[in-house]
Amino acid sequence: MPRQTIVIDPVTRIEGHSKISLHLDEEGHVEEAYFHVTQFRGFEKFCEGRPFYEMPSLMARICGICPVSHLIASAKACDAILAVRIPEGAVRLRKVLNLAQILQSHALSFFYLSVPDLLLGMDSDPATRNVFGVMETNPAMARDGVRLRQFGQQIIEWLAGKRIHPAWVVPGGVSSPLTAENRDRILAGIPEALAIATRALDWFKTEIERFREEIRCFANFPTLFMGLVGDDGTLEHYSGKLRFLDAGGHVVADYADTSYPDYLAEIAHPWSYLKTSFYKPLGYPDGVYRVGPLARLNVIDGISTPRASQEWAEFRELDRGAVLSSFYYHYARLIEIVYALEKIEQLLHDSDALDSNVRAHASVNNSEGIGVSEAPRGTLMHHYKVDRDGLITWANLIIATGHNNAAMNRGVLQVARHFVHGNKLTEGMLNRVEAVIRCFDPCLSCSTHADGRLALEVELRSHQGELVDVCRTR
Amino acid sequence: MPHTLVIGYGNALRGDDGAGYIAAELLRNRIQDPRVEILSEQQLLPELMEPISRAARVIFIDASVSGHAGKFSRIPLRPAPACSRFTHHATPETLLAGAQKLYGHTADATLYTIPGRFFEPGQALTPSVLRAVIELVATLEKELAADKRG
Repeated sequence: MPRQTIVIDPVTRIEGHSKISLHLDEEGHVEEAYFHVTQFRGFEKFCEGRPFYEMPSLMARICGICPVSHLIASAKACDAILAVRIPEGAVRLRKVLNLAQILQSHALSFFYLSVPDLLLGMDSDPATRNVFGVMETNPAMARDGVRLRQFGQQIIEWLAGKRIHPAWVVPGGVSSPLTAENRDRILAGIPEALAIATRALDWFKTEIERFREEIRCFANFPTLFMGLVGDDGTLEHYSGKLRFLDAGGHVVADYADTSYPDYLAEIAHPWSYLKTSFYKPLGYPDGVYRVGPLARLNVIDGISTPRASQEWAEFRELDRGAVLSSFYYHYARLIEIVYALEKIEQLLHDSDALDSNVRAHASVNNSEGIGVSEAPRGTLMHHYKVDRDGLITWANLIIATGHNNAAMNRGVLQVARHFVHGNKLTEGMLNRVEAVIRCFDPCLSCSTHADGRLALEVELRSHQGELVDVCRTR
Repeated sequence: MPHTLVIGYGNALRGDDGAGYIAAELLRNRIQDPRVEILSEQQLLPELMEPISRAARVIFIDASVSGHAGKFSRIPLRPAPACSRFTHHATPETLLAGAQKLYGHTADATLYTIPGRFFEPGQALTPSVLRAVIELVATLEKELAADKRG
């Protein structure tokens, strides 16, 4: 049998556009697999020459799903350029906004993108394996997903003026305080949202047994994990130290988040526009690590809110060391939704929640600034250099999907080797290859969006170009 | 109370693609009726199914790549099942169908399309497209005022 390449293009139900290629040997076994990000993000280059204070709004335009995350990391980098300590009131409101972003994005990832696989099955009819299929099969769950995402988006709008691409977070803080009316509206919605999140979590835990095979081979291997932790080691998404944990569950090191160039490096691959980052002291590939919900729940010592803390304790019993299977990203995402809701409630019950002092003002005091925060998909880093007039001379962004790139590639290979065999393709096999990518919830929107109607067609060809098999979406 | 929901959508940073979004923004400045809810959105999202289910009538406003710039068209809509990849792309018909399925009610709906000429990055509308937007806003303002009287 000749050597063959299977191409899955595009990968569906993820944020952004990519393809996967599977390379088969003469016996039809998967020899190598690649996850290709096929668009180029030019933001670092075309922001050069812009005033630094424009950066938060410019950077928010990178993505329509996680603009708030870019807004926050960018504003933090600009705070460093101003060399100001922003008011506590501003920190609190930025935290609420960031948690609302995590809430809405996790709801989208779980209910819209992954529940079709989890509820309808990996081998179900692809024509109905989507959110409308979920509506048909379990309308209550579909309504829950819509409501939860709507609530996260609504919090963002109440705080920041609009749901997508708000400009409320600015260098030095935020542009306006929270009103009592909006605080009360947010607080009033928390109980319903928590009930939805709890229902989803309970449902997921009962469904896990059906996915033992996927759990075993969905990017289930030892790597490092990285994520922000608070000073007391608890779950933190806005600021703290960056912790590396090994697969055995041992803390490798805690670092200042702003010194990332000392311990992180990036490499480029010829087959993708997405760079791969790694932990410098171990080099590549030994220094491969994962970020995002799974990593965050692995690296922490605890959670500061009661329900999420209880769920986390149960989650950590999945493995003796770190929880290694990337299938559990879904589980971790749901626990983080519970945490986000509880934490928002805590923050808004603070007696200073309506504090009007929400912005510090200064001129350019540093020629360089680094901002780090936890985005829904993992650690997000914005790093700028400016000239004496505050114009950007250099920028570097490391997004969560880049941190996870090596693990996603290894994951694709692991799943493909387990499920894809010989010269006969089934749609369910290929869906599992895509589904491992969905676990990471990569946000390739940070590269670009394609337009037009997407269609999936996978061809299996011999090295001489002979068509062996074809799978098409309907 | 039965109410009308207006959803204008499009990317206001992609030239004439923002025609629907801008029309909704202009209309909001002119309509002071609590029975009319106006949303300007970058794109249609599944979350819109819930407000659609609460409305008696929905007016969608969108730019189109075909048609004669400077005009607008009125198209009655019916709920229609979704395409298979419902994440970054939704149609008014799928949202109407989703509202019916999830919430047991969907609204009478009309789509107004405004043909565009240029969809390149930029915030300005082509003058002929801007004229069509203004004309549509005036038409809808009269129509909604008549509804209020009626």
